[in-house]
Amino acid sequence: MRSIKIKVNGRQHEVLIDEHETLAHVLREKIELTGTKIGCEQGSCGACTVLLNDEPVLSCITPAMRCDELSVTTIEGVSENGELHLLQQKFVEKGAIQCGFCTPGMVMTSLDFVRKNPHATVDEIKEALSGNLCRCTGYKKIIEAVAETIRPQQHPAEANGSKPHNGRIVGTGMPYIEAAKKVQGKAEYADDIRLKNVLHCSFLRSPYPHAKIEQIDTSAAAKLEGVKYILTGVELPEKFGVLPISQDETALAIDKVRYIGEVVAAVAAETEAIAKAACNLIQVKYKPLKPFFEIDESLNDIGTEEKIHEHVKFNNNVHKKAELRFGNQEEGFQSAAFKSKMNFEFEGITHGFTEPHAATAYWDENGLTIITATQVPHYLHRALSKVLKLPLSRVRVIKPYVGGGFGGKSDPFPHEIIVSYLAIKTGRPVKVRFSREEVFISNHGRHPTKMTMEIASDETGNFRALDADIAIDGGAYGSFGVVTTYYNGVLLQAPYKVENFGFKTFRVYTNKPQCGAMRGHGAVNSRFAIETLIDDLAHQLKMDPCELRLKNFMPSNTLTAGQYRITSNGSRESLLKVMEQSQWKERYGKLPFGHGLGVGCGFFISGSALPIIRNELPQSVVHLKVDFDGRVLVTSGASDIYQGSDTMLAMIVAEVLGISMDKIFVLAADTLLTPVDLGSYSSRVTFMAGNAAKMAAENLKKEIINSVVARKEISADELNLADDCVFSNDRKIELTWNEAIDFTIAHRGAINVSGKYISPKLGGDFKGSGAGLSPSYSFGAVVTEVKVDPETGAVKVLNIWGAHDCGKAINPLAVEGQLEGSWHMGLGQAMSEQVKYFNGLLINSNFLDYKIPTSLDTPPIHTNIIETADPEGPFGAKECGEGAIHPIIPAVANAVFDAVGARITKLPISPEDVLQKIKNLSLPNAAQVNV
Amino acid sequence: MCGIDELKQVTVKENYLSIGSLVRLDDLKKHAAIVKEFPVLIEAAETVGSPLIRKSATLGGNVLCENRCIYYNQSEWWRDAVGYCLKCEGNICIATGSKKLCYSEFVSDTAPALISMDAEIEIADHEGERTLKLEDIYTGDGVCPRNLKKSAVIKSILLPLQREFHSSFHKLRQRQSLDFTSLTVAVSIDKNGKLKSVLGGVDPKPVVVEGNSDSNLEEIIKLALKGSRAIDNEMFSRNYRRSMISVFLKRSFEKLIG
Repeated sequence: MRSIKIKVNGRQHEVLIDEHETLAHVLREKIELTGTKIGCEQGSCGACTVLLNDEPVLSCITPAMRCDELSVTTIEGVSENGELHLLQQKFVEKGAIQCGFCTPGMVMTSLDFVRKNPHATVDEIKEALSGNLCRCTGYKKIIEAVAETIRPQQHPAEANGSKPHNGRIVGTGMPYIEAAKKVQGKAEYADDIRLKNVLHCSFLRSPYPHAKIEQIDTSAAAKLEGVKYILTGVELPEKFGVLPISQDETALAIDKVRYIGEVVAAVAAETEAIAKAACNLIQVKYKPLKPFFEIDESLNDIGTEEKIHEHVKFNNNVHKKAELRFGNQEEGFQSAAFKSKMNFEFEGITHGFTEPHAATAYWDENGLTIITATQVPHYLHRALSKVLKLPLSRVRVIKPYVGGGFGGKSDPFPHEIIVSYLAIKTGRPVKVRFSREEVFISNHGRHPTKMTMEIASDETGNFRALDADIAIDGGAYGSFGVVTTYYNGVLLQAPYKVENFGFKTFRVYTNKPQCGAMRGHGAVNSRFAIETLIDDLAHQLKMDPCELRLKNFMPSNTLTAGQYRITSNGSRESLLKVMEQSQWKERYGKLPFGHGLGVGCGFFISGSALPIIRNELPQSVVHLKVDFDGRVLVTSGASDIYQGSDTMLAMIVAEVLGISMDKIFVLAADTLLTPVDLGSYSSRVTFMAGNAAKMAAENLKKEIINSVVARKEISADELNLADDCVFSNDRKIELTWNEAIDFTIAHRGAINVSGKYISPKLGGDFKGSGAGLSPSYSFGAVVTEVKVDPETGAVKVLNIWGAHDCGKAINPLAVEGQLEGSWHMGLGQAMSEQVKYFNGLLINSNFLDYKIPTSLDTPPIHTNIIETADPEGPFGAKECGEGAIHPIIPAVANAVFDAVGARITKLPISPEDVLQKIKNLSLPNAAQVNV
Repeated sequence: MCGIDELKQVTVKENYLSIGSLVRLDDLKKHAAIVKEFPVLIEAAETVGSPLIRKSATLGGNVLCENRCIYYNQSEWWRDAVGYCLKCEGNICIATGSKKLCYSEFVSDTAPALISMDAEIEIADHEGERTLKLEDIYTGDGVCPRNLKKSAVIKSILLPLQREFHSSFHKLRQRQSLDFTSLTVAVSIDKNGKLKSVLGGVDPKPVVVEGNSDSNLEEIIKLALKGSRAIDNEMFSRNYRRSMISVFLKRSFEKLIG
């Protein structure tokens, strides 16, 4: 211990520090400025950037010792007297903030840059930001915000744009309602929550992929001063899992471990350091079993070895088999003129949200409360009740600000159950936070996949048949895997007409961290395969691949082979848009060797029509409360995890009631205070919670109108709500919003109204018909331009032109952000991302070796919103958060084919693979030259 | 150390430019002498880490950058699960199964550029002060990659002036920022036609092949490949990195010699 003097945001502090303590730790834990975020603990994400004597440093790798007598500026010190710095205003205004977890670091890096580079170009901005990872935005809007700070536009838009264009709020780009809070580092994420007298929890994790636990000796750990509770699996035997059909996980391993990293024991102690030290003192005796790491091993009969899960039906590790067939595939293939069939391999990828998991639980007279970084408070609520044997009425789940999810925070997690249990057992709040390595080990990412797919067409290119044989590697537990198993197949039945269609998917257990739902859930890899086959088919047909797609698109208002009800369909508009922008007709197939264009299309569900737990309850409910002050309180269980759902709810309510956004307050995702919404997964929130909000607002509008009608001589249909007023067509009656509210409250008391959403009954009556059913589907297309270095095989993406049919963009700024983020994430899967294992142990569990594209790896993105007005979506809206990831990946691979003739069948695209393919292609030519 | 101003200076010492070991990578471009005589050093430095890292990282730190291996750069827990490797007081190399040799990669990006220009290093330790050729501090043993004493301090890096170097620099990496090198190739040729090729990322030490503008370039490539003991211990395969050695060297020679 030694003492340092450090001035932070102008205030002098004297702090006792440990020898190896980092500046980030001092700022967050000792000075309690939690705006500085810790994302990676190794200087590779930039979230922790602060200014040290006016120079940006990565505070997570800056020794605090070095900061003695120096001055630090953190994100909390950027705005002055409550006024946002111009840079912060631009971040807000341009929509550069989604989850907001990278924002403090981005702002600090940019702040230094704009001060020192008043004439910087966009390329220089990209370079400057290339040490700050963002997983949400694709960097586009961040770069725009920095560029506009350097060169302010003449007519800046309203900074916290509550002023709608043409009196309409829906359709006007709005910064997130919490953006100003995030840009100042004031938004509290799970690890920023400080409760008094808190205990810290740490885990002992299995070093074996598959082993019997023979003995756990906690005696030495128990003797350590400061240890309050040591938990092992036997205390929490109840199984859980997000799907009722695969409840195969326990909070801690009992009797055996199934992957390296599985929690075997947990310690609650006075400090994190004591908890960790205690974990190291726990002795576990394991008896290793044969581990299974590969799909093929797990598919086959395993002889006398022990299965990963007892409950598996046969003598193998197959978790789920799904098979559906429609039409007559055999005839379709036999009668076809052209066929394309390929084998594909996909590495697993993971969400890479910048905020590590964290949770704090406490127990009091109201039962259990947990504040946790989750996408689905509702399913966690149910899982906690089940495992801890508490009535639902004694469990409360609160979602604070969440630093990204992308599906990776949508399962109930062991750590959430463990800290809840420890809080009950110790009577004190218990907190846990993950290291980046622990986040990777928890995974739940995209399944590693192998598939064979075949497509056939007639002589003119009409698709005749499609078949897919798929195997996915689920890892040790079920998660969303049963759904993933179906989605890999069923989500092939659009956007193209194929009557003769079928698939078979196996999901296997292996001794690796489990896979689950990740953006574009289940359909991303099979979309890659089909779009690649279509490209090849076009090549065989000597047809433009865009024309081939246009020819086969299904129309609006139709049914697919598996009886999905397609309503609005913007496939054609999307594809035509990106063709035009990329000058496809002029350039495709005509660029010099090494330079190419590629195309891909896709579609996705706007929320699963069936809830995970089959019941008759609404999928979303929204309450509105208004009292004499005229402010509308919107309460909803919808979880805003970066996608802007809180803002969406506010905009819909404001639009219906004709009031300004500052009269709305959104309270979301607290299972005690807010009505149930099933959560942020399957791209359901805008469609379902949006509809519930719209219905609630319409009900409120009726109440107001009825009250006015009761007092004034006017019929209801002559009254309007707009511009913060209630007025009659002839303007003889004109009430301010507050006058109208007074009328209403006088008439019927303070107001509480609700709206709800329940999906219509959809789909066929065969087994598996529910998979992929949605009240509406989004559609989209992407063209990319690449350059391939024929000597190194390196692929550089030069441009992304994307278009996505979201029905109606309620908040175009947010929609653009979702699309750009999806395309960026897809670029990562195409180009660089993979989870790599060594004997079942992740070897790239950090942001240096797991390669999320930086700003320099992200080409210009040209964003197009296509609007087709869905008949059932709120104001015509449908999803935009996931569907856009599908077309980009094959579009990159197909561009590589156009550039050098190398057909990509493995992801990520490796330069080594491309180079080998180029060499193979040139072999016959080389031979000819020699002759 | 941070308080020693002498280590932050860039000065001319006789026929050498002396760059203090604490000069930050981001500051190299602020010195006219470096921009004019040794631009490849700036080019190399700008590929290190990220812009943020380069604002803290120093030249001395980068030439001493610890060797890397994906089986070594892991947490304590990871090592517990897999077993300890040679570089971590274990008795076997996880990447190769070897019981003798550690092949962790030499990953400094500035050192190959510096060595290609015959840089020297000024060291002070309890025995006194010495100046060595920079390449001579690297041992080629992945466990203990440098032969410096524990008490040693790097004072400065010396670069010979008036040699009129023309240089080329290539770095193989998956992303355009943040990534450590998978192969660095720096080649410099001076006014007398003396040519020096230096490889990083494919051996526990920099691989140096010298020649002149008349040398048989195929021979230089052959020697470089022979000197490189790359193994499969990172995200790019050994084979691919080796095949890129000749591509990068050929490109360098094309640029410098034509």
